[in-house]
Parts: sequence; C-alpha cells; structure tokens
Amino acid sequence: MAKVKNWQINREMEYPYEEHRPKKQWAIVFDLNKCIACQTCSIACKTTWTSGKGQEYMFWNNVETKPYGSYPLAYDLRVLEQLGAQEWEKQKPYQGKTIFEAAPPNERVVHFHPKDEDWMYPNIGEDDCTKNVPAGDHLELPHDKWFFYLPRTCAHCTYPACLSACPRKAIYKREEDGIVLIDQSRCKGYGECVRACPYKKSMYNPYTRVSEKCVGCYPAVEQGKQPMCVQNCIGKIRVMGFINPPWKAREDNPIDYLVHKKQIALPYYPQLGLEPNIYYVPPIHADRKYLRQMFGPHVDDAIERYKKLKEDTKTQGLLVLMGGTDKIMHSFKVNDRTAFGYDEKGEEVVSSPLVEPLIERPAFDTKVGAIRNNTP
Amino acid sequence: MKFLDRKLVIGLSVFYSLNVTAIVAPSVKGDLSKPSLDETIWATAKEETVTLMAQPMAIPRPAETATAQVKVKAVHNDSWIAFRLSWEDKEKSEAGKLGEFSDAVAVQFPVKDNKSPPPVFMGMKDNPVHIFHWRAQYQIDKEKGKREMKDIYPNMNPDMYPMEFKDEGHLTGLTDEKREIFSHGRAAGNPQSYAKAGVDEIFAEGFGTSSVIKNVEAVAHGEWQKSGWTVVISRPLVREEGSHLKVGEDTFVGFAVWQGGKDEVGSRKSVTMQWTPLSIAK
Repeated sequence: MAKVKNWQINREMEYPYEEHRPKKQWAIVFDLNKCIACQTCSIACKTTWTSGKGQEYMFWNNVETKPYGSYPLAYDLRVLEQLGAQEWEKQKPYQGKTIFEAAPPNERVVHFHPKDEDWMYPNIGEDDCTKNVPAGDHLELPHDKWFFYLPRTCAHCTYPACLSACPRKAIYKREEDGIVLIDQSRCKGYGECVRACPYKKSMYNPYTRVSEKCVGCYPAVEQGKQPMCVQNCIGKIRVMGFINPPWKAREDNPIDYLVHKKQIALPYYPQLGLEPNIYYVPPIHADRKYLRQMFGPHVDDAIERYKKLKEDTKTQGLLVLMGGTDKIMHSFKVNDRTAFGYDEKGEEVVSSPLVEPLIERPAFDTKVGAIRNNTP
Repeated sequence: MKFLDRKLVIGLSVFYSLNVTAIVAPSVKGDLSKPSLDETIWATAKEETVTLMAQPMAIPRPAETATAQVKVKAVHNDSWIAFRLSWEDKEKSEAGKLGEFSDAVAVQFPVKDNKSPPPVFMGMKDNPVHIFHWRAQYQIDKEKGKREMKDIYPNMNPDMYPMEFKDEGHLTGLTDEKREIFSHGRAAGNPQSYAKAGVDEIFAEGFGTSSVIKNVEAVAHGEWQKSGWTVVISRPLVREEGSHLKVGEDTFVGFAVWQGGKDEVGSRKSVTMQWTPLSIAK
C-alpha cells in the first residue's frame, strides 16, 4: 500500500497504487436545489450508451430520491454499514478509516456485493418523503419532513476502488482527462469492480459477460464538449469541467471556484476515501444530520454560503452560465450585469445576463388582434 | 505485506510438499478426443487426491478455502491426455444473472521446460503456463449456444433493441454486425462475449495476465450430481506453441477450482500450492 494525499479528507491515506494525478481531471458540479428528477439526464445517457442487450436495467446516470431511493438497492447504506461508525470532527482531518484502510487482508476494500434483485428497481423510493405532510402544515428550513433528488454518474475518482480491485488491471484512468475506463477487450467479467465501487457505478452486462461503466462521454470531452447528461439537463443544474487539487486551484476555473474558492459544492461520501469528482451543492431544506453523513462536516457552512448568494454577483453569474453551453468552460468572468464563459483557448463560448431583462408588453396584441395573457 | 505473504507461502509449500501426490497417466485404448466419463476408460487409472487451498497471493482472494481437495485421474492414448477431476460442491452454479458466478476448474502445464516449471502461480514473465479452463457456463455455450437475454431473464420484456425492427421496411442492410456496435464487449472483440467451446485454452505469465487462445483444440465435459462435479478435460499431448507432453516422460501439472455459489471467480479460487508431478506412462 502506498501513502497518497486525499484533500477531501484532508490527510494522507493508504491506496494500492502511488499517487498519480492526471493532467486534467474531469468533474461535474450538480446544484441539488434545482434538480427535479425529470430523468432527462438518465435518458440522454441511456439512448447514447446503454440501449443494447444486457443493458436493459443499466443506468450509468441515474437520479434517486434521498433518503429512500437508491440504485442498486440501499448501496450507500450497505457500504456505510460495512465500514461501521467512523469519526470526523469538523476542522480536523477525517479521523475514521476509508474503505481501503478498513479492508481485511484478503480484500482491496470493504464492500457489499449487490445481487441480481438489488439492480431490479432503478427508481425505487421515488418521491418518497420522510414523513406524511398533513393538511394545513407549514414548513421551516430545514424541513422536518423532506426528500431531495440525487443525480449520479461515475465520479471518475482520483483513487478509484474499481481500478484498485481489478485483478486483471483492465481498468485505467486516462492521463489526459482523468476519465476512468474499463477496457472492453481485456475485462473478463469477474465483477470485482462491481463489488469494490462503493457508489456501484460499475455494472455487469450479462449478455457480453463483461463489466461496463460511465465513460464520461469521452468522445465529446475530447472535442471540448460536455457529457450528454450535462448537455441535456433541462433544469440547468449541472456543469462539467476540469477540477484542480486545492493547491493548484484557479479562481477563474468554474469548478475550482465552486468547490475550492467559494466552497459551496462538496463531494459525496468523501469519507470512503476515493476522492470522487462529482460535487454537489447540498439541498438547503433537508435534514442536516443526513447531509453531514453524505457530504461531510462542512455541509452546514456550504449551505450558509449558498443562502447568501444574493449578495454575491460572481457566484450568481457562474450559476446562470450552467446549462448555457454544450462546450466545456475552462474559465469564466462576471461583471455587473453579465457572465461570460471561455473555452480552453480563451474564446468566449457563452454569455448570460445575471438577471433576464424585464420586458413589458401592452395587454392587447394589435398584430394578431388578441389579448395577451401570462399563461406560460 | 508482500513479504509476509511470501513467508506464508514458503511455509505452506513446505507443509504441502510432505503431502504431495504424483499422478500417473496410464496408456489406454479409446478415443480421448471426445470427453467421456465412461468407467471403461478410467478403470486402469489410479485416483489421486490433490490438496488445494485458498489462493493466497493476489488480492482479492478468498477468505477461506472453499475446495480443500480435488480427486484426479489421468489417462492417455499416445496422442491425447485426459484428466478426470472431481470435487465436492453441493450447489450447482452456472452463472448468467447479475452477481452470479460459475463453477469452474482449470488444469495448468508449463510451456518452456517440463522438468523445471515456472512459479505455480500462473507462471512468470517470459516463462508462461498453458491453462485449460472449464466453466459450467462455457459448457452451456457449447451445448445450447450462448444464452440470449430471454434465456437468462425469461420474464423480462424490453421494448426493443437498437436496429431490431419487426418490419425493417426500407431499412435493408441492417446486419447483426451493425447491431453488435451496441454490445460493447462484442464490438471490442472480447472472447468472453462470444460463445465458448466448453473449455478455454489460456496462456499466462503471472496473475492477471491470462489471455485466451483462439483455436481451442481441447475438449471438456462436466456432470454435476448432488455431491459435486466430475469434469473431464482432454487435450492433445502436443499443442502448437503451447504445452508439449511426451509419452514416457515426467512433467508437472497444477489445478484450480472455483465454486460459483460461494462467489468465487477470477483470483477468488482454490489452487494447488505447488506443482503436482505427472508421469505419462509408456
């Protein structure tokens, strides 16, 4: 086991391979306050990549309702259960064990092994609230009865558990963008990656008898475009870009800004130790204890900062750029009224007003001879 | 960690060397190019019990030994050599669905030097081993063809698959080859995604390096009864570019068993901790 630096838990940890960060690291930020679980991302992914035989129930991108939804069944709770209770005091590095450190000598990670029936209900728990909402009830923040939607892709982790567990070394992390891929010609379908990934984003195809996973839409990324799940997000809740570790973070990089500078987007289950590269703006209304378990001890601060965004035009500007372009934004700029996004060469790919201009029109449309109304 | 493992292995090797058995393959008359469990072929061969233990080197490995021994008989007919392998396994596992694995057995031979073989743990760089790997799952391929999704999940009802229409209309030229693009493993030419001949022939130069050979000459057949499997693996004595065996000479052989029902697959297996001597009698 090598000692590697994991900034998400703010300490060194054990991993089977040496630390080797790619030149660029693929990352997505999701604003969970805006996700409506329309599943357009799931369908965009499915029609692009997983419409074939053996992929009928396979969702490289899925959206689950928390806390009761999960795909496969209770994957996160069962991994946390295997890991056992761990300590993480705020302001301190994570004191508990990662899934690599807690592994018995014969395994790479502590894990649970999902079976056939666990994959059968991709959208179980949808819209299930933690309690009934009686008539006449009112809610305060955070809500005492709550649920929220969690869209998920592969996190193309800096320290992938799938890669560490493959005895054939058929999984690799690309140098150029950090995307983690299963070599479809080398995989023998042992399913070790399916067992090892705590997020259960490696999936077995019973028709081809090999394992498959989210490919980060690498053909699009190679052309400077964002993945299909991001391009097609109608709620504009996501942005894909490249993240730097905090010691190399750039103020004008959209992902670095949200994760490192503004610190309103957090990785999920960072305590597992994989340094996952999908980041979430946590939902402001959900139970804090639950959110701390999912996003770590800094979630309260992130929510407080998010609630104050009305005083912060720069972050507002960045958030309105989300979903504004299919191209990957490498940098952004915000002035008083407008936000701009730029590609790798520094050319503008998108601009958006911070506030959409208000246009007042007379009630009667003389051109068509009809009364206008505000019905959308 | 690695150092400890090695020490453990050396210790166990010494222990197992005290218990080692030699397998003698007598000459028999009969066709060995078809795998047969028929007693008349096997009557003259002495059954040896070979000790196995949980694969101890490569992680992930089994927490405990699932198959403690395999009973082995061997015979030859001057051009083919056959092994009859039996082990206890109360649960028949043939894989197919998600999270299911197949029962399997493998026989391994040195390639370069029959007298001084490479490490028994699947050989080493530039000193490969030749493995004959039978799986219950591959036997189904051979007997019934590779299973379609309808065979694996009879009650599943997908709307349609890409480019599969009831009436292709003007869309002529839709071929299976074009449809394969939607099956990543097949499109990549992965042999795992195509029907197997019942047994795989494999070259390996250490753990994790196995690659299957295209033209399989070996044959195999297994039968499961309540107490476990009996599998016959039969191969030509001389394999092009692979393992060469000679009548009247001694060599070595290694074994591995997987119990799919105990989630064994890949590096999770029971193996021989050292080479078992094999005499091919005149």
